[in-house]
This record gives sequence, C-alpha cells and structure tokens, in this order.
Amino acid sequence: MDLGPSTAQQLDLSKLTDRDKAELQQFVVNESQKSRIQQSIHSLTDICFRKCITSKISSGKLDRYEEPCMQNCVDRFMDANYVVLKELEKMRS
Amino acid sequence: MDSLGGSGMSAYANGDPKTTVMRQIQQEAAVQNARMLVEKLNEHCFERCVPKPGSSLSKGEETCFTACMEKYMTAWNVVSRQYVSRIQKEAQSGQPNAMF
Repeated sequence: MDLGPSTAQQLDLSKLTDRDKAELQQFVVNESQKSRIQQSIHSLTDICFRKCITSKISSGKLDRYEEPCMQNCVDRFMDANYVVLKELEKMRS
Repeated sequence: MDSLGGSGMSAYANGDPKTTVMRQIQQEAAVQNARMLVEKLNEHCFERCVPKPGSSLSKGEETCFTACMEKYMTAWNVVSRQYVSRIQKEAQSGQPNAMF
C-alpha cells in the first residue's frame, strides 16, 4: 500500500473552496484524535496483556480470569494516571 | 478491528480533491494502525511461543502462535471497549480528562 507523492501531486488543491478547506481541517482534527485514541489502546493492550495473560497460551479465547483482568487493568491504569496528574498539579501550586 | 487496509484506491483519479485527501488520510491511518498491531502481536507472541528458537518453527509453536494472535486481538477489542467507554464517561461528567 504505497501512498507515494505521485498520488498527492496529481491533486489540484487550488480547486478547494473555503468550505472544503474548513471541512478538511475539521476532518484532520477528528482523525488525529481517533489516531491518538488508537495509539492509547495499543499501548494499554501491550501493558495489560503482559500483566493479565500469564498462563500458558492454549486457546485463542480470553478465559474468565483474563477478561476481567484486562478490564480492571485499563481502569486502574487510568486511575493511576489521574493520581499522577493530581499530584503534579499539587506540586505546581 | 475493522478495515486493516481496504481497497477502493481505484476511485482516486476522478474523485474530487477533498474526498481524495480524506480517503488518503483514512488509508494512512488504517495502515499505521495495522502495522502497530502486527508489531505488537509479533513481539508478544514470539516471546511467549518461541522461548528457545530451534532450527525451525515447531508444530506446537505454530499452534501457540495462532492461539496467541487470536487472544491478543480479543484483548485489543476488550481494551478498546473499556477505554472508549471510560473516556466517554469522563467527558460526560466533565471530569478533568487526562486522556492518557
């Protein structure tokens, strides 16, 4: 899948109206946020998989301990993140 | 895990520039997302399934890989649901949202 410069060069961006430009700008903002969220999901899955999936991998399903562990892991990580931020905030003032 | 690539590149040439740019951005994002997933999958499953690399992948190692991949993707989806519902909840309650 190569989206090289050749594809981009063929585009005549001067034809974009102001409305198009505004719309594109909004689109980019939305996509960036989506991408940031996805990045967080990757990172959380990485961390939590390491913590929760510790027994021998014999099935593709998550067993009844692993799934709640993954869910708790996400929530606790975010709680912890919040604690860090609050603490930093305190130090600032 | 939707759209790990997609097709529809052929419609580019005659589409209007705005739609084309949008589609390229989406395509790029999807590729990036897939690349990240493959990288992580390999990292975890190789570590778990091939502790001592032999002269070839054994049948058992391969079976482990298949299971591990499925497990990792299921875990990804669980995390995705949990994380998204959490940030939505925080956005609604107006909590200072860290959005890790």
